[in-house]
Amino acid sequence: MRTRGFPPPDTDPAGAGALLSVDGLVKQFPGVRALDGVTLSVRPGEVHCLLGQNGAGKSTLIKVLSGAHTPDAGMIRWRGRPVAFPTPLAALRAGLATIYQELDLVDGLTVAENVFLGHERSRFGFSLRTKGNAEAAALLRRLGHPDIAPGRPLGTLPAAGRQIVSMARALSYDARLIVMDEPSAVLDAGEVDTLFRVVRQLTADGVAVVYISHRLDEIRQIGDRVTVLKDGRTVAAGLPARTTTTAELVRLMTGRTVEYAFGERAGPARRRELLRVNGLGRAGEFADVSFTVHSGEIVGLAGLVGSGRTEIVETVYGARRPTTGTVTVDGRRLRPGSVRAAVRAGLGLCPEERKSQGLFGEDPVYRNVSVASLARYATAGFVAPARELAAAARALTDLDVRPGDPRRPVRTLSGGNQQKVVLARWLVRGCRLLVLDEPTRGVDVGARTELYRLIRRLAADGVGVLLVSSEIPEVLGLADRVLVVADGRVVHEAPAADLTEADVLDLVLAERDTSGWQRANQGHSAVVPHDRSEEPT
Amino acid sequence: MSDEVAVPPVDEHARVERSGGAGSTWGGRLAAVRGLGLVGVLVVLGVVGVVTTHGRFLTGGNLVNILTSSSIVGVVTVGMTFVIIGGGIDLSVGALVALASVWATTLATQSLATSYGAWVMVFCAIAVGVGSGLFNGILIAYGRLVPFIVTLGMMVAARGLAQSISDRKTQLVTVQPINAIASGELFGIPLMVYLFAAVVAVGWIVLNRTTFGRRTFAVGGNAEAARLAGIDVRLHTALLYVVSGLCCGIAAIMIMALTTTGSSTHGDLYELDAIAAVIIGGTLLTGGRGTLVGSILGVLVFTTITNLFVLNNLPTEVQNIAKGLIIFAAVLLQRRGRASSA
Amino acid sequence: MTDLNRRRLLAGGAIIGTGGLLAACTGNTPKENAGGAVDAARGDNAKAGKHVTIGFSAPQADHGWVAAISKNAAAEAKQYSDVTFQPVEATNDVTKQISSIQTLIDKKVDALVVLPFDGKALTAVARKAMDAGIPVVNLDRVFDTPLGYRTWIGGDNYGMGQSAGEYVGKRLKDAGVAKPVIGEVAGIDNLALTQDRSRGFKEALAKYGYRVSIRQSAQFTVESGQQVMSNILQARPKLDAVWNHDDDQGVGVLAAVTQAHRSEFFMVGGAGSANAMRLIKADKSVLKCTVTYPPTMAASAVSLARLIAQGRGMSDLTEREVPAYMVLASATVTKDNVDRYLPLGFES
Repeated sequence: MRTRGFPPPDTDPAGAGALLSVDGLVKQFPGVRALDGVTLSVRPGEVHCLLGQNGAGKSTLIKVLSGAHTPDAGMIRWRGRPVAFPTPLAALRAGLATIYQELDLVDGLTVAENVFLGHERSRFGFSLRTKGNAEAAALLRRLGHPDIAPGRPLGTLPAAGRQIVSMARALSYDARLIVMDEPSAVLDAGEVDTLFRVVRQLTADGVAVVYISHRLDEIRQIGDRVTVLKDGRTVAAGLPARTTTTAELVRLMTGRTVEYAFGERAGPARRRELLRVNGLGRAGEFADVSFTVHSGEIVGLAGLVGSGRTEIVETVYGARRPTTGTVTVDGRRLRPGSVRAAVRAGLGLCPEERKSQGLFGEDPVYRNVSVASLARYATAGFVAPARELAAAARALTDLDVRPGDPRRPVRTLSGGNQQKVVLARWLVRGCRLLVLDEPTRGVDVGARTELYRLIRRLAADGVGVLLVSSEIPEVLGLADRVLVVADGRVVHEAPAADLTEADVLDLVLAERDTSGWQRANQGHSAVVPHDRSEEPT
Repeated sequence: MSDEVAVPPVDEHARVERSGGAGSTWGGRLAAVRGLGLVGVLVVLGVVGVVTTHGRFLTGGNLVNILTSSSIVGVVTVGMTFVIIGGGIDLSVGALVALASVWATTLATQSLATSYGAWVMVFCAIAVGVGSGLFNGILIAYGRLVPFIVTLGMMVAARGLAQSISDRKTQLVTVQPINAIASGELFGIPLMVYLFAAVVAVGWIVLNRTTFGRRTFAVGGNAEAARLAGIDVRLHTALLYVVSGLCCGIAAIMIMALTTTGSSTHGDLYELDAIAAVIIGGTLLTGGRGTLVGSILGVLVFTTITNLFVLNNLPTEVQNIAKGLIIFAAVLLQRRGRASSA
Repeated sequence: MTDLNRRRLLAGGAIIGTGGLLAACTGNTPKENAGGAVDAARGDNAKAGKHVTIGFSAPQADHGWVAAISKNAAAEAKQYSDVTFQPVEATNDVTKQISSIQTLIDKKVDALVVLPFDGKALTAVARKAMDAGIPVVNLDRVFDTPLGYRTWIGGDNYGMGQSAGEYVGKRLKDAGVAKPVIGEVAGIDNLALTQDRSRGFKEALAKYGYRVSIRQSAQFTVESGQQVMSNILQARPKLDAVWNHDDDQGVGVLAAVTQAHRSEFFMVGGAGSANAMRLIKADKSVLKCTVTYPPTMAASAVSLARLIAQGRGMSDLTEREVPAYMVLASATVTKDNVDRYLPLGFES
């Protein structure tokens, strides 16, 4: 056994009593041993959390469980019997459903059609719409969402609604175990709460849930037991979710004992105003937004998904055209709606959707770095690859991107390193004001800390930073000044030191009370505050 | 050719300089394999040629003939490669070649050329190509219309305009310097071949060594990311169609020289020939990746097949079957290449 | 790719049926036909008779030949003071052509000249006209049944090949060539007209004990002619004779010959374009001969329709009626007789 000193405390070797038990699972890809001895045991009716950094093997594990990959070695027992699911459909039929991060739903179909996709309610090849709708409605009711109409086009549902539909689909196969891959990544706090309520309902019915998340607070809130993966191996199995300390979990995942380490705040050095936003507004998205960013200052925008924060920073950056207001850099007004003008003035953006908005996935890393400053390595339009590569390589070394090979396709890098590549793009350009939209999304804990250090360092070097994050502790920990955004307006502005997480949550949720389709289901204490006492600061 | 910018390992960046070894990068290896595949196909075709044609295949005359026959579609394919790498498609190339050839050979243009020199016709053909390309580009980039639809419209309209200008007649080129492009030779090689080589060389340099080329890959690879990185995606997209139009203009001059005519029937189905060559050359139809050398090898493969069939006096039908099979094989090979790199 | 090309041609225009793509007519037929030669030899056909209205329907001019057909018909009608010419809009839509012919029937024209887009599809409406007592002159593309026309007049594709074969065979025989290398650049291969031409060529050569040693098909376009010929020249380092089916694609064929610096063979063209005839006359290229696809049929059809409607026969014939079937001979145009044919050559 490779679990080295972590014998699963409460798993009997035969897996009797366990709904699912996995032992010694190995999966080899060309050049990578993605799974290298994974052990996992899930009981009926529990929420079993799967924890691990990016690349620890979580995704591969769930793909093997769901029948998408065939394991090279090891044993999977399902309800006591050894199984090998040849296809995802076989796994589904056996009662093991997987809800992936990128939901596999079809926008153009209705909710009910999505629920029964692949096993449509039909007779002689003719679909039975009424029957499908009725059964879908029953499933949605069971999930506590009678408000989602089965006939509604899926495309009109928000992310949380889609997740409910995915779960209804899993239940439509009479799933005994539902694997959820980072279900909270696309949800805001209220929606996460709804999700948790549904999960509890499922487990109360005896359905087991394997829950994957980066967010330790969520795991503590919803999980019963935790299994930690590292480098394709189980390093700890079946730990109690509520009592295991964060420090211990982080140590297991990383071998380090840090989680959020925000580094030193730079003192109020000689600051001058870099960016001034005045009365900025965009019809239907946000209105009357005014603020400034100084050199060396980190200004954070805190708010829920959908509050308008991404729209605000993208408008500042020129990616959207404002309907009112102005953006001024160094006292000069930017041409509205022009990214080029913003970039020329010294702005740089690390966008929210890294893959679709930030990276050229097939291209090598160095080209992703140099793309915004190509003209710098070119004479009369001719690029000098040597200069370009050297500059990119320096930036990569500087940011400690791993692996450091600048010619590797950028898609092969982990989330944290991809984010550093986007940062490097603006560093080599000599950017003076960085707009960071969810810079740590999909970035594992270890890499987050590095990113925080980096952002702080850039600010110390005089770069102004405009930061957007859904994670309130992140905004409070990193920023000097915080703007709280709700429903398209800046509802509060204060130095970060004067705010607590609870303050921000109150501001955010107060505005939110009157909006949102899921309001009826939303409890008052939507989010359990982050357990900051355990964080080394 | 996203990977043909051959770069040395990073730890040597203190003494960096250009080096070969595109094969040392991930994608580079892939591109090399694809390129090699097509070279392999050419070698196989060559062997077949030597065995079946009693020594008529491997003669200087025939090889030059293959290059000359490839030259016109080849030039169009250079432009098509830019457009497809940039994430678009240009269905109007064949019709633009026809329109430019007709416009440049009208009585009016030719009489001007007789008084002021053949450059008038050259200028006219290029202006028609560039102008039509610009029209395509503006509609696509600034009108936000789908390239497929815009260039389909242009394909129909330009062919129609060519027919109406020429009254469906074949217009003979009487200006001798134009015809001399096809009959002229230097060191035993026709000027057409030099022209073809020059267009390919310039295209390669622009695609792989200039900011324009690099932005083409960026725009085709991820237009949104390119926009957010400060690239003027719309302008760049428009320019890609201008490049394609320019290539059509040059091709029109070449076809005028080779056939000594301008005609609305010229350039028939070039769009399909060019797209097929680009695809078997390893360029992704979705944009962002591709190589110019691959496209040109694709053109050569097709022309060589035609040549072999005529040398063996086989009917056209079999030729088309062979071409179709090659397209399938090439695309399958690409899939395997991609899968192994993922 | 040629396959697609073909389909397009078949769908759109194959059409142009039996001889269409190739033979184009000139607008100067009246002078030749109804003019001088006729007056001297002919009886009273040119004299004005009773006034007649002649309806005319042809496909849309998607090729020069069809355009020439329409022009020639109109020009011929103009020669006669006793003829009102009533053309209907040209179309490549069978149903439209049927309905426009129906209109002409309703107008009770005295005679109809019809080049059908598709002979089969238009047979019914042609019969309707005949049943209504309107004589129909069927041009080139033949209807399904003789009940559909009073007179058919058209070209002879087999004869074209035969004429070319005769010329090539005789010339090589006279030169004493034992085993000549003969090339053939055909038109679009799966058209019946191309097959007829090739058959005529082959059978005429067989009489001399010769056979075609390389045959490749082009697309009736200049560009395809150039491409195919440049490859043929590589395939056969020495040729004795070449027949190219079509003078239009022949421009490309000749360009390929010039570019390859070849001149050891002679070439025969097809259809009879003015350009080809000028080259034959100049006698500086390999082109020594062309075989025509009679370019005057539309003009002739109109004058026949006039005679039929007026109830007259052809005055040079003994019969009192116009004949029911006329296949026009394919002439062999060489340097010796080119001056006679040059005015009939069509500008491609």
